[in-house]
Amino acid sequence: MATEPTVKPTDPLTATPATLDPAQVDPAAPPATGPWKLAWRRLRRNKVALAFGVLFVLLILSALAAPLWAEHVANTTPDRNRLADQIIVDGKPRDIVSVRGIPMGPTWRGEYFLGADENGRDVMVRLLYGARNSVFIGLTAALITTVLAVLLGLLAGYFRGWIDALISRGLDVLWAFPVLLLGIALGVSLATEGLSIGPITVAGNSLWIPTLIIGFVGIVYLARPVRGQVLGLREKEFIEVARAQGMSDWRIMTRELLPNLFSTILVFFPLIMANAILLEAALSFLGAGVQAPSPSWGTMIDTGLDRLRGAPHLTIAPGVMLIMTVLSLNIFGEGVRDALDPRAKVRLEH
Amino acid sequence: MRSTLRTLMGLIAVLVLALGVAGCGGDDGGDEGGATGGGEDQAAVQEGGTATFNYASFPDYLDPAMSYTVAGWQALIPTYTPLLTYRREAGAAGAQLMPGLAEAMPEVTNGGKTYTFKLREGLKYSDGTAVKASDFEHTIKRVITLESGGAPFYVGAIEGAEAYQKAGKAKGDITGIEADEATREITVNLTEASGQFPFIVSMDFGGLVPGDTPFEILTKKPPPGVGQFKITKVEGNRAFTLEKNENFPEIPGLPPAKLDKIQINVVKNAERQVRDVLTNEADYLDDPSAGDALQEFQQQATDRYKEQTTNSTYYYFLNHRTPPFDDEKVRQAVAYAVDERAVVRIYGGLMEPGCNFLPPGMEGHQKVDPCPWGDPGQPPDLEKAKSLIKEAGAEGEKVLVWGNDEDDSRQNAEYLASAMKGIGLDARPKIIEGSVFFTTVGNQRTKAQAGFTNWFQDFPHPGNFLFLVAGDTIQPTNNQNFGNVDDPEINTAIKELNPKELSEASDGYAEIDRKLVERAHVVPYGSKKIPLITSERIAFENVLFHPVLQADYTTFALKEGEQ
Repeated sequence: MATEPTVKPTDPLTATPATLDPAQVDPAAPPATGPWKLAWRRLRRNKVALAFGVLFVLLILSALAAPLWAEHVANTTPDRNRLADQIIVDGKPRDIVSVRGIPMGPTWRGEYFLGADENGRDVMVRLLYGARNSVFIGLTAALITTVLAVLLGLLAGYFRGWIDALISRGLDVLWAFPVLLLGIALGVSLATEGLSIGPITVAGNSLWIPTLIIGFVGIVYLARPVRGQVLGLREKEFIEVARAQGMSDWRIMTRELLPNLFSTILVFFPLIMANAILLEAALSFLGAGVQAPSPSWGTMIDTGLDRLRGAPHLTIAPGVMLIMTVLSLNIFGEGVRDALDPRAKVRLEH
Repeated sequence: MRSTLRTLMGLIAVLVLALGVAGCGGDDGGDEGGATGGGEDQAAVQEGGTATFNYASFPDYLDPAMSYTVAGWQALIPTYTPLLTYRREAGAAGAQLMPGLAEAMPEVTNGGKTYTFKLREGLKYSDGTAVKASDFEHTIKRVITLESGGAPFYVGAIEGAEAYQKAGKAKGDITGIEADEATREITVNLTEASGQFPFIVSMDFGGLVPGDTPFEILTKKPPPGVGQFKITKVEGNRAFTLEKNENFPEIPGLPPAKLDKIQINVVKNAERQVRDVLTNEADYLDDPSAGDALQEFQQQATDRYKEQTTNSTYYYFLNHRTPPFDDEKVRQAVAYAVDERAVVRIYGGLMEPGCNFLPPGMEGHQKVDPCPWGDPGQPPDLEKAKSLIKEAGAEGEKVLVWGNDEDDSRQNAEYLASAMKGIGLDARPKIIEGSVFFTTVGNQRTKAQAGFTNWFQDFPHPGNFLFLVAGDTIQPTNNQNFGNVDDPEINTAIKELNPKELSEASDGYAEIDRKLVERAHVVPYGSKKIPLITSERIAFENVLFHPVLQADYTTFALKEGEQ
C-alpha cells in the first residue's frame, strides 16, 4: 500500500506555508514570507522601476482619455482635415496649414496643443489616439504571443519526442525569418485584401491585422525559454509524484507546470509588449501596420520625416511618446525580473 | 501617362501662361513668367563640358520601344528622334508638330486614312549605320511585340497591326506600313481617319532604331538611334551616361547638344536630391518633390527656380456603377464639398486650381467660369452638399476612398474621406501600395467607389484625356475609366470629333469638357506645377522647358568659365 506523500506535488518556489507539511514548520520561527510577497518587497525598493511603472500607467490613462481631450479640449476628431482653415492664436488668425503645405506648430493651448499635421489634423489628438492603438496592439499582441508560446512550449517540453521535434522545427523556421521582413510581407498583403479564414473575416484596415501579425511573429521569443524551463521542470520530483498519483498529462501541465512558469511569463510579458509596440511602430512607419485613417506613432513619424526642418513637431512628438512607452515598459519589466529572481538574466533576443 | 513618385510625371505643358490662364489661383511663390529658353536673355555659354543630373529613380526602361515615363522620355527624346517631333520652342508654339526624321510633314490622302512620310537623305544612326525607310516598320513591330505600354496607340490605329499582334510572330508583316528604300518613302494606312495620328507618330515609341535591333528589351545596352545624344553607359539601376552623338545630322529646328556628356545618377534621398543642386554638386534634378529642401532652394536660389504648370489633370473619380455615386446628386454633393484651397495645400502650392477636366494649355480648354460647384478660391458650400446628400437619401452610406501610399495621393484620399464625412457620408480612406494602385482600382471586381487619380498628356490632343471618360474604353481589368463614366451624349461627341482637325474641333471639345464638369462625372481640381531647378554652373535662362517634351537636355549648357 502506497503511503501518502509528505510533500504535495507543488514546486517549493510557489508553495505557501499552508501547503507545507506542518511537521516541517518550526512554531518558534517568524511567519515565512511567500515568494510573491518577497518579489513585491524587492520591486518596491527599486524606485526607478516603480517610477517607470507609474509613467506607463499614466500613458495608458492619457490614452484612455483621448476622446475626452478631443471632444472637450481640442474640439475635433482624430481624422478631421482642416487644411484651409484658420484659428485665432494670441488674437491673430493663423493658417492651420500654409499655402506651401507647412503645418502650424504647437499653440500650447487646447486647440492644436502640439500643432497640426500635413492634413490640418490636431497632432495632440492623433498622438493620444495613436497611444490607444499602440497600447491595444501591444497588449493584445503580447497576450496572443504569451498564450500561444506557453502552449507550444508546454507541449514541446512536456511530451518531447516527435511533438517537440515538430514544434521546435516550426519555431526554427519562424526564427530564421527576419521579423521585420516577415511582418512587412504579411502586413502589405493583408492590408489590401484583409484576412478571411472560414467564417472569420478581418478587414484590411482593421487594427487586428497588425495585432495578429505581431502576436504571431513574437511567439518564438517566449516559446523557446518556456520549452527549456518545462524540460527541466518535468524531471523534478513533484512532477514524478503527480504522475505517480495518476494525474493526467493535461492536469499536470495546467496545475503543476503552468504555475511554475508564471514568474517567467511575468518577466517576459512587459518586454514582449514593449517589443510589440516597437514592431507596430516600425511596421506602420513602413506602411504595413496600422492603416489610415487610424493614427499610429509609426505613421506619424513617417509622414513627418519630409518636413523635419519646417515642422519638426510632426516627428518629435510621436518619437518621444514611443521612447517613453518602450522605455517605461523595459525598465519596469527589468525591475519585475530582478524582483522575481535577482539571479535571472532574461533578455529578449532579436 | 499616369504619375507616381517612381514612374513620375507625364509629358508637360507650359502653354498655360501663353494662353493667358496665369491669373488663376493664389500661389504665393515661384516665378510664373513662362517657360525659359526660346531665345530671350540668353546667357554666354560654352560648348562642351560635363553635367551631372539627379533622378529620384532609375527610368522604367532605356529602350524607346518600352519607356513610358517622364524620367525615361527625358533621356530618350534627345537620343531617338521620331519621324515627326515638336518645335523646340516654349509656350504654345512648342505644341506644334514639325518634321523630325521625315523631310516634311506627311502627305495625307484617302480621306485622312493614308499618311506618306519621306525620310531625310543621308541619315545615320549613332553607330554610323544608315537609316532605312523599312526601319520604321521594325520600330513599330518592336513596340507591339514587346507588349509596350505604347502598343495600343499603334494596334488600334494602323491597318494590319492588330493582325500582326494576334499572329504573335515578331518578324511578321504589318500590312498597313509600306516602305520604299529607293524613294525613302514610308506609307501608313490607318483603320480610320484620326486627327491624333500625327501626334502618335511623334511619341518617342516611334524613335527610329535599326532594322536588325532584336525583339528584346535593351535597357542594359540601348540600341543606336538618331539623336543629339547617345547612351554610352548603363550602370545597373544606379546611373547612366549620355554623350554627344557626333553622327547627328543637321536637322532644321533640332540644334545639336551643347554639352559633351551628361552623367545621370539616381539619388533616392529627397533632401539630398535638392541639396546637391543647391550646392552645385549636381546640375539638375528631374521633378523635385515638395518639401523643406525645395522651399529652402526657392528662398536661397530664386534665380534658378521656376515653376511650370503641366498639361495634367488631377481629379477624383466617382464610380457611376457603385452606390452611392450612381446617383448624380451624390456626385454633385462631393463636387460641392471639395475645397480646392485645401487641395492646393496638399501639393505644397504646386497645384494650379481649376475645375476643367481638360487642362489649361490643351486645345479645347475653355475655362468653365464660374465653376458650377463654387469658386475654387472660396470655402466650399457644405450646406448645399449636405442637402443634396439628404435629398439622395445617402446619409451614412459607406464609402471607401482609394489612394496610394505616395504622399500626395495618400493625403488626398484622407482629405476626400474627411470632406465626405463632413457632408454625411460614412467615408474612410483606403491606402494601398503605389505599384498596384491603378491596376487595383482599374479592376471592376474591386468596385472602387471613389479615389485619387491623375493624367499627364502623352501628346497635346484632347483625345488623350477624353478616353479616360469615354464609355467605350471601360474594361473589366486595367480600366482607365475608373469612374465608369458612360454618358451617351459625350461618347458620341468624342467619336464625331476624333477625325477632325484639332483647330476645327476645339469648340466641340470645350463643350464635352463643360458637360463632364456640370454633370459631375468627375471632380477635377487642378493641374500640377513642376519646379525647375538647376545649379549655378548651368545657364538657367537658356534651358528650354518644353510644353510637351519637358526639359530639353540639348539646351543645357555650362556658363562660360565653368569647368
